[in-house]
Amino acid sequence: MEDAQLVQDFLGGNHHAFNVLIKRWQDKIHHFAYRYFASADDAAEITQKTFIKAYQKLNTLEDPSKFSSWLYRIANNLCLDELKRAGRKRATSLEALKTAPQTEVSSSADEKLVRNEALVLLHKALLQLPVDQRMVVIMKEYEGMTFREIAGILDESENTVKSRMYYGLRTLKKTFDSWNINQEVFNYD
Amino acid sequence: MTREEAQILLMDYMYGELDEQQSRELELFLETDNELKQEFEALTQTRSMLQHLPVKSPAEQLIIMEPDKEASTSESWWHRVSSLLIPQSGFGRTGFAITAFVFLFFVMGAFTDMNISAGDGGFKMTFGEQPPVQTGYTAAQVEMIINQVQQENAEMINEYVLAAQEQQEAQFEQTLSTFAQYLDNRRESDLELFNYSLTSLEETTYDRFRQTDQVLGEIIQTVSTN
Repeated sequence: MEDAQLVQDFLGGNHHAFNVLIKRWQDKIHHFAYRYFASADDAAEITQKTFIKAYQKLNTLEDPSKFSSWLYRIANNLCLDELKRAGRKRATSLEALKTAPQTEVSSSADEKLVRNEALVLLHKALLQLPVDQRMVVIMKEYEGMTFREIAGILDESENTVKSRMYYGLRTLKKTFDSWNINQEVFNYD
Repeated sequence: MTREEAQILLMDYMYGELDEQQSRELELFLETDNELKQEFEALTQTRSMLQHLPVKSPAEQLIIMEPDKEASTSESWWHRVSSLLIPQSGFGRTGFAITAFVFLFFVMGAFTDMNISAGDGGFKMTFGEQPPVQTGYTAAQVEMIINQVQQENAEMINEYVLAAQEQQEAQFEQTLSTFAQYLDNRRESDLELFNYSLTSLEETTYDRFRQTDQVLGEIIQTVSTN
């Protein structure tokens, strides 16, 4: 059943329809928030708040077919609120950053350990992006949204979104180069 | 296609959001611009690295519990009634609140015997029974009070004038006696000075007579000797 139909059902009094929507979107919103904060606890909190707010405000959704964009907008705003509330200090105390960046990879190190460290650095590089670029990279790269959808969620022009994506990728490339992270590291499986 | 146009289309091309014709045009351009092509390949590789980012799934499934229907029914009933009574706009709500306050104020006033009055002394609001009001004096009483006050004033002024007169007389007598005493003292001192002057004159005159006699005696003696 389509999201729009579930929204209509819920507004018509079918409470179960909303739980179907939760089941359908919880993982995606959780992953979105996890990639944003690199913290499972924060991701769970943001996800919970997102669905509570959606439950309370669903009657204000003008076009039920845009439920997913509307849900991501709520999640995005909650992430930004959380960032403002917690301040910049938060960005340096995330569980993904327990390992300090290393500029050289020891040739004698275990390949899996090297890979795990590279994954931590990968998340650290993402967290170091400016908030507006990070948001676009996550939505595009991991949520698979089109530039038009992202522009609609962020209330920006498509060109602005593309520009943020372009500069976000360039910044990430520079960071990976400076930390000696390359594709080969991730092939150690 | 210019380089700027190609850069703008690069992101669309990378994520497969270009149509076939635009894609072919961009691919042809990339064959001519080696620098942009290398950048495209580097960004594509960065993309592929990002795909390795780990993610954690939620630990538990969220579920929204259905609200209690009875409570919901009573709540919605109350909600309907209140929405009918209370205006929904902010301005209307403010007006409704003010009206309700005024109504409540007068209802409470009716129960507490509230009395509001305005006079020269200002605005006055009282609760409970009214205190007895002073109605004032009759014309005869006022005349009697005025007469009494006038009489008391006249007596008081008379006493005051007499007292002031006595005080002035006493002061005048004291001044006269002081002046008389001063005149006596002055006369005595003048007499003493006069006596002293006469005595001095007498003594001077006697001395001069004596000197004259002495000179005459010497003259006579000189003449007789010659």
